[in-house]
Amino acid sequence: MKENKMSITINAVSENIPVVRVAVTSFISNLEITLDELMEIKTAVSEALTNAIEHGYTKYSGDNPVVILNAKFTSDEEDHVEIEVIDYGVGIEDIELATTPAYTSKPELEHAGMGFTIMESFMDEIIIDSEKDSGTKITLKKKLRNKKSKMS
Amino acid sequence: MKYNYQDGILSISLEEELDVNSCKTLRTVIDGYIMKYQPDEFFLNLEHVKFMDSSGIGLILGRYNLLKLMNCNMTILNPTNSIKRVIELSNISNKIAMRSE
Repeated sequence: MKENKMSITINAVSENIPVVRVAVTSFISNLEITLDELMEIKTAVSEALTNAIEHGYTKYSGDNPVVILNAKFTSDEEDHVEIEVIDYGVGIEDIELATTPAYTSKPELEHAGMGFTIMESFMDEIIIDSEKDSGTKITLKKKLRNKKSKMS
Repeated sequence: MKYNYQDGILSISLEEELDVNSCKTLRTVIDGYIMKYQPDEFFLNLEHVKFMDSSGIGLILGRYNLLKLMNCNMTILNPTNSIKRVIELSNISNKIAMRSE
């Protein structure tokens, strides 16, 4: 079994989102992955980072707010990709409300409220671990389909 | 970004990746052109957009709401397949015409 890990810490500013998106894409691009799967993971990661930066932290959040991304893949008979996006911000008070399609806490900023819907649709599993005033960890998991079709 | 205005038709063609960062700037710029020309017909060409997340949905929806107030039709042109998938997850695909040419 092959395993690989990558960890990135960024300042919580939106200018860093494209940088991390590119890093995650290159990290998994050596796997037998379809362009669709690559796009799905890239989009889900972008949503999780956007949430962490735009909603996790407010202008009152500490001196140096950061977002951590941990990416991991295991490659065996099946390939699995797992990505964690962690912030130490305000936390999500009502997870059910936050994950409701088209709900946004910031409509004035033209957020579509589709972030969690996209993460749920494009990944196999999403785990939301959040505590008020101490932060949020989003875990995104996806099994790549390539190998299955190859063996059958 | 490129834009063209002729005979009541405003066409904007985007090239950048549409995420929270680029959309903040783009919405001000696009609204600037919309307010300046007050078009009857608005085309948003996504042919050269290689990536879009839900911020792009917010951008499209925001322009749609503004144009609706001005009785202006909006059409999304040439989205790539992956962008079409993101758009179709939201309800904007019921409201806004989308076509490839």
